[in-house]
Amino acid sequence: MKFPRFAAIALLSLAALPAYAQDFIAGIPRNETLIIQGTPQQNADWFNVWAPGGGGSANVNGLQQLTTDTFWFINPEGGPDAWQNALATEPPAYNADFTQMTVKLRKGIYWSDGVEFTSDDVAYTVKTQIDHPGMSWSAPFSVNVASVENPDPQTVIFHLKKPNSRFHTVFTVRWNAAWIMPKHVFEKAGDPLAFKNNPPVSLSAYVLQSYDKAGNWTIWKLRDDWQRTSIGMAAKEPPQVKYVVYRAAGNPEARVIEQRNHNLDVINDMAPEGMFAMMRDSKSVASWLKGFPFAHPDPTLPSVLLNTKKPPFDNKDVRWALALMIDIRAVALGSYRGAANLAALATPPTGSAPDDYYAPMQDWLTNFELDTGSRKIKPYDPNISAQIATMVRGQWGDQIPTDPKQLQRTFGFGWWKQDVQAATELLQKAGFKKSGNQWLKPDGTPFTIRLQVEGDAIPTLARAGTVIAQQWSQNGIATKVDVAGPTNGQRLSTGDYEAAIYWSIETWGGHPDLSFFLDSYHSEFIKPLGQIQPPRNLQRWQDSRLDQIIAKNRSIAFDSPDVTKVGQDFLKLAVEEMPMIPLMAYNKFAPFDTTYWTNYPSAENPYSASGPNWANIRYMVTGLKANPDAPKN
Amino acid sequence: MNGFLIYAGKRFLQFLFVVVTGITLAFLIAHFSPVDPVEQTVSLLTSFGSTDPQSVEILRQSLRELYGTGGPLIDQYFTFWGRVLTGDFGPSLSSFPTPVMTVIGRALPWTVGLLTLATIIAWIIGNLLGALAGYFRNSRLLKLAGIVIMALQPIPTYIIGLSLVILFGFVWPILPISGGAQVNLTPAFNWAFISSVIEHGILPALTLVLVGIGGWFISMRSLVSNIITDDHVVYAELGGVRSSSIFSYYVARNAMLPQVTGLALSLGNVFGGAVIVEFVFNYPGIGKLLISGIYSGDYSLVLGVTTIAIIAVAAAVFVIDIIYPLIDPRVKLG
Repeated sequence: MKFPRFAAIALLSLAALPAYAQDFIAGIPRNETLIIQGTPQQNADWFNVWAPGGGGSANVNGLQQLTTDTFWFINPEGGPDAWQNALATEPPAYNADFTQMTVKLRKGIYWSDGVEFTSDDVAYTVKTQIDHPGMSWSAPFSVNVASVENPDPQTVIFHLKKPNSRFHTVFTVRWNAAWIMPKHVFEKAGDPLAFKNNPPVSLSAYVLQSYDKAGNWTIWKLRDDWQRTSIGMAAKEPPQVKYVVYRAAGNPEARVIEQRNHNLDVINDMAPEGMFAMMRDSKSVASWLKGFPFAHPDPTLPSVLLNTKKPPFDNKDVRWALALMIDIRAVALGSYRGAANLAALATPPTGSAPDDYYAPMQDWLTNFELDTGSRKIKPYDPNISAQIATMVRGQWGDQIPTDPKQLQRTFGFGWWKQDVQAATELLQKAGFKKSGNQWLKPDGTPFTIRLQVEGDAIPTLARAGTVIAQQWSQNGIATKVDVAGPTNGQRLSTGDYEAAIYWSIETWGGHPDLSFFLDSYHSEFIKPLGQIQPPRNLQRWQDSRLDQIIAKNRSIAFDSPDVTKVGQDFLKLAVEEMPMIPLMAYNKFAPFDTTYWTNYPSAENPYSASGPNWANIRYMVTGLKANPDAPKN
Repeated sequence: MNGFLIYAGKRFLQFLFVVVTGITLAFLIAHFSPVDPVEQTVSLLTSFGSTDPQSVEILRQSLRELYGTGGPLIDQYFTFWGRVLTGDFGPSLSSFPTPVMTVIGRALPWTVGLLTLATIIAWIIGNLLGALAGYFRNSRLLKLAGIVIMALQPIPTYIIGLSLVILFGFVWPILPISGGAQVNLTPAFNWAFISSVIEHGILPALTLVLVGIGGWFISMRSLVSNIITDDHVVYAELGGVRSSSIFSYYVARNAMLPQVTGLALSLGNVFGGAVIVEFVFNYPGIGKLLISGIYSGDYSLVLGVTTIAIIAVAAAVFVIDIIYPLIDPRVKLG
């Protein structure tokens, strides 16, 4: 055979290979399967979510998303149905001094092996974890629970060691929570810390079908008796997704390609450029926001954390000066290409926060006065978001809303005006002097800053750090970006940083109570530099007024109308003190492929969280509709 | 024979020295890593959860006890050597309580298969083309091959891998770009699984081959270029020996010795994994495991992988040293 002829035949043979995409999963109909981005499982055999054997990675293979259950869920996207009773029939009932919590359980819930779920499982969960330190929720149970009683199969009473109006949050899913253990399985398993729990008995609508021992995929199947679960009882129609594949799909570029090839329906954490390209080029892509910036905002708050235990960041005038040197428009364009949801308050502008805090506090923000030492200024600019919208309108045209209210929901409500003169006055008030274009500290040494960022793991925040470092440097404070990589968390927690782009505030999203982070801000938890600070309050902000606010919040009920007022008091104090400079919501770029499935949650229809690692994605999985135009295979 | 035994004994002592030094350095580097496995686990368990500070402190103490990461460094060092000698690296800290060897055992076959094949293919192609290019210096085709190989040589692995992903996953989507085999296929000695493994291995292997050919090509070409001016080759040419015979018996064979050494060392390196390639293609091998161990501060796992790699490379060098006198009489014994 001549070479050209051989080459032609070889090429034709290769052309037949695109059928590969259609044979992506062996033995399962693609049009009954939802494929979600997971993470590689180093310990693929491990399905014990109550012990640390999965290294935390078990959280992103569908185990906690599709098989576990607990009392309550809060939809972080908000809405009137944000509170969801799951295994419980009603919200928690506390006694008057919050030392006792009673929970009423649903009847007719069954584990996937046919055993009925009862209050025995709950009592066993609490007692077993108290008896085995190191289990995932043993610590909060040990700290809080004096005893647990279950007078009947549908009632559990927790007797607490001390008053705690938020004890129910241990069993309330925002991302995850204390999952109930199957007593009948674990009591025969020996050491619960060494038990693989493979295959896991499911309490929710899906059960393990198969998994890859190399850790690249896990497949879950809809239970035949899915109605006998809390998710089944809440479903208005039978779930149409029969199989869920959690699969590791590599780097962000590979994820985009896999979705373009219809091998990944749900992906997460792409760069904005990838998202914009998808929305421009692909007809089968849906997103949280229909128009620009297409992103989904997480209820976390990327900020410039300032280490308040290190001078000169212990001086609020310095902290405010640094805030006023920032041109947030450049940060928004540099980090998110304009797709940032700005936050001037110390709570992310997501879920119910725009209604609970941002809208009601606009007047206060606009009238807020700052004493620079030379004069009083009103630093808040409610129009900055509109300015960013104007900047990106040239590229995105009609995608950019014009309605002011919609603009606020997309780009945020406003931020601080860049005011270098005011920053100068504040630094002078703090005893700083300028030599040429270099600020000198009161002791005469140059004021320089190491601005820590995590790096590639969160590229948008690394970019934000670079822009802010440039702006501070241009204004006389030489700033170096310090890429921390995998040491980021530990350096933040031991206080081995000066300033950092990260978040120390997360909220429930769908509920105004700020206890999710606020309780841990109390001064009783502040550690000296070098020691590990508990999660949150990485800036080690300490203030007696803050303690009073926290004490007040601890003493009122979760659903008290006073919760919002306490929250506003906190936000006002945080503005005055500026212990961290809130930047924006953590916008995530997470497109959905609609080739096989439709009715993904969106800003117009926020019925569920959609992040692959969020436990409440189960409400999305069971809410999806099969696309009637999907390829038949 | 006595001379050979003395030679082998000396080389064995060298082997032991290299292994002990290498493993000690690996131990120290891993233990001085700023990433703490307990903190990593605490961070994972508390991330996104409303865990109160008191509970976190209790969890931290419990995990420290559970993982046994405390104690003086010297005690840990000797305990570690005890484990090395029994082939047991203890539990993986990021996959607690699964033993490190079980975790490594799952990943190793993928890497060994991929890297061995890719290394041998790159070695054969690189050496063959290098030898031909060095011998037939006027061939236009071989010059062109040289230009292409030299152009590929400086391109980082990551770029070549990503280019292949885009080319064969996006522009012309004919090959899988992620994983080791098709989703929902059970590993077995049947054609469905084997063909799927081959299909998934094509792009990572191609990346490694494209990256690997250059080095072999360049060194072989220069070796051959030097040898063809040696007296015995010139004499053979003048004596009318056929070109193909001169190439095979006088040139290529003499040039092969250092290349065989290189191959042995490369095969020893197989146990360290192909970190970047496995990362790009999400390949479930030892390289990806190593990265994950470094990121999570799982020094038991990192030490397990590096110890195996150190022993493999040192053993390869030792075997080469032992074999050399047998195949090359110029190596002096004693």
